[in-house]
Amino acid sequence: MTKFKQLGFYIDQANCTGCKACQTACNDKHDLPVGVKWRRVAEYAGGSTEQDDADGTFRANVFSYYTSISCNHCEDPICVEVCPSQAMKKGENGIVSIDPEVCIGCRYCEMACPYSAPQFNAAQGVMTKCDFCADFLAQDRAPACVAACPSRVLDYGEVDDLRKKYGSENGIEPLPDPDITHPNLVITPHKDAQASGHGTGAIANPREI
Amino acid sequence: MLTETPLVIFTIIAQMSAGSFVVLGLIHLLYVRTDPATMDRVSDPALYAIGPVLVLGLVASTFHLGSPMRAANALRHLDSSWLSREILAGLIFALLGGLFAVCQWRKWLPARTRQALAVVVAVNGLVLVYCIGRVYTLRTVPAWDTSLTMVRFFTTTILLGSLAVGAALVIASLARARKGGEAAASRLLILNSVRGIAVGCVVLLGVKFVVQQSYISGLANNPDPAAKASMDILSKTDGGFSLAQGILTFACLAILGIFLAQLSRGKVGHRAVVSVAMSAFSLILVGEVIGRMLFYASMVRVGM
Repeated sequence: MTKFKQLGFYIDQANCTGCKACQTACNDKHDLPVGVKWRRVAEYAGGSTEQDDADGTFRANVFSYYTSISCNHCEDPICVEVCPSQAMKKGENGIVSIDPEVCIGCRYCEMACPYSAPQFNAAQGVMTKCDFCADFLAQDRAPACVAACPSRVLDYGEVDDLRKKYGSENGIEPLPDPDITHPNLVITPHKDAQASGHGTGAIANPREI
Repeated sequence: MLTETPLVIFTIIAQMSAGSFVVLGLIHLLYVRTDPATMDRVSDPALYAIGPVLVLGLVASTFHLGSPMRAANALRHLDSSWLSREILAGLIFALLGGLFAVCQWRKWLPARTRQALAVVVAVNGLVLVYCIGRVYTLRTVPAWDTSLTMVRFFTTTILLGSLAVGAALVIASLARARKGGEAAASRLLILNSVRGIAVGCVVLLGVKFVVQQSYISGLANNPDPAAKASMDILSKTDGGFSLAQGILTFACLAILGIFLAQLSRGKVGHRAVVSVAMSAFSLILVGEVIGRMLFYASMVRVGM
């Protein structure tokens, strides 16, 4: 299998249609129970409709774009830092994963992670999260989400290579300031994308993510 | 509002226990000229109450866990996780506090050594409160990520601790009176202690009002959408609870103020001391529990 120094994900926001095939493929691959979402697609929307005084017509000045996020296997993973049991670890290929035999299910990582990556599985009593489809990687296969994307807007690989290929943007609303955890994530921004901390919109599907 | 109930119970009890221990120590220090037998008779029952309550709090915290049987794993990340440090500090405080209570009960060790042990336990209690404060000063939660979180926790610690001690002193006194009379010296010590507690709490309640104001204005001026969401919870969704906490806190302040005013005019009967100590404690306990529930309810993270 290919070895990586640090794996990362790439999203092309400009061409993402928000179909959520990535999320569905992830749920299916990992057999996740309802409510446990290792990959989530946020819809960020804003703007307003204005009336033209001259002719009384309405003009929509609105925007909306999608951001598909699982875990960014961050450079400074706050989940690893705060985890009291050392169940959360940064390991092989730079993947951040949880040892389900050690986790006590205190949910402190869930409180801390600004991407909602750690997800509580109530039936198992432990936290669970994206493991970058480590079993697929071992067979040199792409992670389920990347493979499933019909618009081919997701990519993965050595994060340095992704940055060379696509640039280094990773601070787009509704994502947090990347300085908090230094995510291994590369984004091609949507034309209406707003920088983290300077957003004028809001997450339109809060209960979905 | 009913989120994280086990954590509400644990943090309130841990802070109340630490505060009680510190305040009992202060009473010993301030009334050092009191006859030691009277001092022990009056203050020991309060000391014995702390242990069981603290154990109850620690047990309650495990109900928060998805896998409570593995609770011991919480101690595995002391070099980086404040949660690990919090649990360790809680255990040390419980163990040393228990050891001190047993020594005090059986009159083991010379009085000086016991006093030194008491100081160590009190410091440990304050370390525990500091660790709890650090756990919640989480940089991804604007409603918590402020130095005022620490100030609020320490205010709660001393406020709740001293009023709990006041209540424990008068309850034990009532029990002794029923069993065959309470010595006048004990009553005097209790009156003096409750007066000291009342003065201290009036100051702390003032601190509490000022801190609450700066906390709310800080949160309201934070540009992050997460801060705005927290603000909405505190002022709209659960605004009634915020109001209730304010009213309860003020009622406690009013009772203590009236008590001190009466006291300055002359003698206050023992029954009045009993009802002041009990009602002030009940009001602030309910107020602080509501405040802590609001604290957890207002948790909104930055990002998505």
